[in-house]
Amino acid sequence: MDADGNFDVVIFGTGITESIAAAALSKAGLKVAHLDSNAYYGGDEASLTLEELAQWADSRQPAAAQTSPYLSEQRNKFTSITRSSTIPDHPRQYSVSLAPSLITSVGPLITSLVSSGVSRYGGYRLLERVGLYDSAVGIRNVPGSKEDVFKSQEMSLLDKRRLMRFLMFASGDFEDKKELLGHQDSPFIEFLRTAFSLGKEVSEAIAYALAFCTSSTDPTLTALQRLRSYLRSSGRYGSSPFLVGHYGGLGEIAQGFCRVSAVNSGVYILDRPIRSIISSSNSVENTATPTGDFSPSRRDKYVVELEDFPEPMTADLIISSASLLPEGLRETAHFLPQQTSSTVLSRARCIAIIDRPISFPTSLRADEDPSPEPASVADTNPVPSVDNSPVDTSVVVFPPSSLEGGSSTSAVHAFITGQGSMSAPQGKYIVYLSVPMDETQDTLPETILNPYLDAILSLTVSPSPEASIPPTPLFTLFYAEHPSERTQSTSTENKSSTVLVSPPISTALSETSDAASDAAEVLFFKAIEILKARRREAWTVREGSVEAGSGGDVFEELKFWPPLDGDPEEEAGEW
Amino acid sequence: MSKQLQFKLVLLGESAVGKSSLVLRFVKDQFDDYRESTIGAAFLTQTVALDDGTTVKFEIWDTAGQERYKSLAPMYYRNANCAVVVYDITQSSSLDKARNWIRELQRQADPSIIIALCGNKSDLAARRQVTQEEAQKYAEEEGLMWAETSAKSGDGVADIFTAIAKKLPTTAQPAARAGAARAGAATGRAGVDLNKQNAATSNDPCNC
Ligand SMILES: Nc1nc2c(ncn2[C@@H]2O[C@H](COP(=O)(O)OP(=O)(O)O)[C@@H](O)[C@H]2O)c(=O)[nH]1
Ligand SMILES: [Mg+2]
Repeated sequence: MDADGNFDVVIFGTGITESIAAAALSKAGLKVAHLDSNAYYGGDEASLTLEELAQWADSRQPAAAQTSPYLSEQRNKFTSITRSSTIPDHPRQYSVSLAPSLITSVGPLITSLVSSGVSRYGGYRLLERVGLYDSAVGIRNVPGSKEDVFKSQEMSLLDKRRLMRFLMFASGDFEDKKELLGHQDSPFIEFLRTAFSLGKEVSEAIAYALAFCTSSTDPTLTALQRLRSYLRSSGRYGSSPFLVGHYGGLGEIAQGFCRVSAVNSGVYILDRPIRSIISSSNSVENTATPTGDFSPSRRDKYVVELEDFPEPMTADLIISSASLLPEGLRETAHFLPQQTSSTVLSRARCIAIIDRPISFPTSLRADEDPSPEPASVADTNPVPSVDNSPVDTSVVVFPPSSLEGGSSTSAVHAFITGQGSMSAPQGKYIVYLSVPMDETQDTLPETILNPYLDAILSLTVSPSPEASIPPTPLFTLFYAEHPSERTQSTSTENKSSTVLVSPPISTALSETSDAASDAAEVLFFKAIEILKARRREAWTVREGSVEAGSGGDVFEELKFWPPLDGDPEEEAGEW
Repeated sequence: MSKQLQFKLVLLGESAVGKSSLVLRFVKDQFDDYRESTIGAAFLTQTVALDDGTTVKFEIWDTAGQERYKSLAPMYYRNANCAVVVYDITQSSSLDKARNWIRELQRQADPSIIIALCGNKSDLAARRQVTQEEAQKYAEEEGLMWAETSAKSGDGVADIFTAIAKKLPTTAQPAARAGAARAGAATGRAGVDLNKQNAATSNDPCNC
C-alpha cells in the first residue's frame, strides 16, 4: 500500500471468483486491496479444517450469540444447520470444502490456473471413478470414454454401436445437426431414447453420470454442451475428464490466486470487518486547458475504513462478493448477471466423514491408464489390470427414483475423497452430498439426504467379512444453501455503477469451478472498462483534451491473462 | 550426472525483519537498502552443492507481503520441507512473532519439516535487543537450527542455507515440480502436473 492508501480497486471477499479477479487485475498493473472479514481465505468456497467447519456451522445458527451484518446475511444463506456434537480425532488433518467441485481438464478454470501460474503452487489428482448406484447390484461402472465402451463386457454389440454413434455425435459440432433440430429444450433423457434409440440404463448413465444432469427434465442442448466439454477433457491428463484439487479444492485454489495478486503487489487484509465506506465526490482540481478554459470534473472515490486498522483506503472501484456487500452500497451497486442459463438453486447439503472406502467393481483405473496416448479404437486389450487398492476419489451417481426414500425428480452426485486429495487423514474419507431442494417444502436437509448417506455407507468395504456392525459416519453436517438474497434492489440496473457485485455461480459439482473463472473474467473486463473511462476522464481534465484513447492506453488490448514470464526455474538462474 | 534434490523452503517472520533481503542475498548476492518490500517473483530457486556431490535445489517461497496483516495463507507453508523463521535482533518483539510462527508450523506443517530460526541484521549489533544466549536457548529447547545473519553484509547467509541443505534427508522424496510429484510421494500415487499434458503416469524423479 502506498503511503496514502490509494488503490484502483478494493475487493471485498476472497471467494474463488473474487480471488481470480484480484489476480488478473493485479497482473494488469492495477493497485488492488483485497479484504475479507473472515480470518480464512475462500469465503463461501473456503476449505476448512474440521474445527473451523464446526465453528463455521455454529456461528451460522440463528440463535448464535455473535452478530454482524455479514453473519446475518450468512444466516439467511445457510439454514437448517445440524451437526454431530463430537469432532473426530486429528481435525486439522482435514480440508473440507464448502463448495466441493470437480475441475474439467479442458475448461476456463484450468486455463486460468495454468495461464496465471497458480497451477505451480498446488497439487491435483484425477477423479478415479464415476459409478452409478443400482439398488440391486450396488455400483455399476460407467463407461467414461469410447475405449471404455469398447472394452465393456456388460453391453450388447448393438448397444455398443448405438452408444458409439451417440458419443461421436456428442463430441462433435452438433449444434446444427438434424438430430438436434427442434429438441434443444426437450428433456435430454427422452432425446437419447428417441433420437439414438438408447436403452433406459444407457440413457441414464449418459445423462446423470457422463453429462452430470441433475434432473429428468434437464434440457438437451445444455446437457449436450456439458457432455461435449467433458468428452473433450478426457485424455488431457488421463482418461478421466475431471481433476480434484488437493486440500479441499477451490478454497486452496483461491489462496493461490491471492498469492499471485500479492506477488503483483496486491495488498491482503483478512479478519477485519468494514467499519465504514464513504463515497466522496471529490472535485478534481480545475486545471487550465491550453485555450484557457476550465473543465471541471467530478470523480467519486470510495474511502474504506476497517475495524482495528488505522489507515483508511481509497479506491475508484469496489468489487464485492454478494455475501460481503455492505448494505449501504446495495442501492447503487451493479449486480453482474449469472453467466449460464441454469438458475442457481437452493441446495440441501451434507458433509460426512467415514472411515471406509467405497467398494467399486474392478476395472481399469482412470489414473493408471497404462497407455500414454488415449487408446485407439483398434487397440482392444481384453484383460483389464486388476487393482485392489481402495478407490480414494470418486463420484457415485444416484439417478432420480433409484433410491428408496430418495428423490424421484433429482439426481444426487455423491463426491467422496480421502487422503489421495490431501483432504483427510489416512483411512478417512469425506462424503459430499447435495441435491437441489424445493424451498416451498420445509423438509430438512438431514431428512432429504440421510437415505443417500445410508446408501453410501452400505457401499463401503467392510473391514472384515464377519463384521456385521453397520458402518456409521464419524461426523455429519447437514445444511441448506440458498442463493444470495442480495440482488438488485430496484428495477434500475445501475450499469454505470462503480460498485460491482460478483455474478452468482452454479453450485453443481461439475460446474462451480468453471463458472467461477467465467464470472471472474466478466468482473475483470467490467472493472477495466470502468477504470479505463476513469483514466480518460482524469486525463481529459488534466490536459483539456478529449483525444480518443489517450488516457486509457495502458489498458489497450488487455488480456485476462497476459503471457507468463519465463519458467520460474530459470528466473533466478544458477550463478 | 550427480544427484539433484529439490525442496520447498518458506520464509516466515514479522514484516521488515529482512526475509526478502535474505532471499535476495542468497539467490543473487545483492542487498538494497531502499528496495520496496517484496519483489514480484512467486518463488526463486538456488542450488547448494554439498561435499558428497549432491546438489540441493531450494525452491524459495517469499511471503509476497501477505504476513503484514495476518493474511498469510495456509497454502503458503503446506508441503514445505524447510522453513527459515526470521527475527530482527534489534527488535525483541520480532522474536515473539517468530515464536508464534514456529508454534503454527509445529501444529500445521509436516512433522518432518526442518525449521531454522534466524536472527537477522547482525550488522546492527550495537542496537541489539535479543541476546544470542536467549535465542539459542529457545532454539535448543524446540530442536531448531539457529544462526545470526546479516543480509546487508552477507554474514552467515550462505552458511545457514548450506546447513539446512545438509540436514535435509537425502532419502526424502523431493518434488520434480511444485505440487505434482510431491503430493504423489505422500500417497504413493502420482498427482497431476497441470503444466504437462497427459502426465498422470509420469513419475520421472528429475526434470533435468
Ligand atoms: N542493517 C540491515 N538492514 C537490513 C538487513 N536485512 C534487511 N534490512 C533492511 O530491513 C528492511 C526490511 O527488509 P525486507 O527484506 O523487506 O524485510 P521483510 O519484510 O521481512 O521481507 C529493509 O529496509 C532492508 O534494507 C540486515 O541484515 N541489516
Ligand atoms: Mg518481504
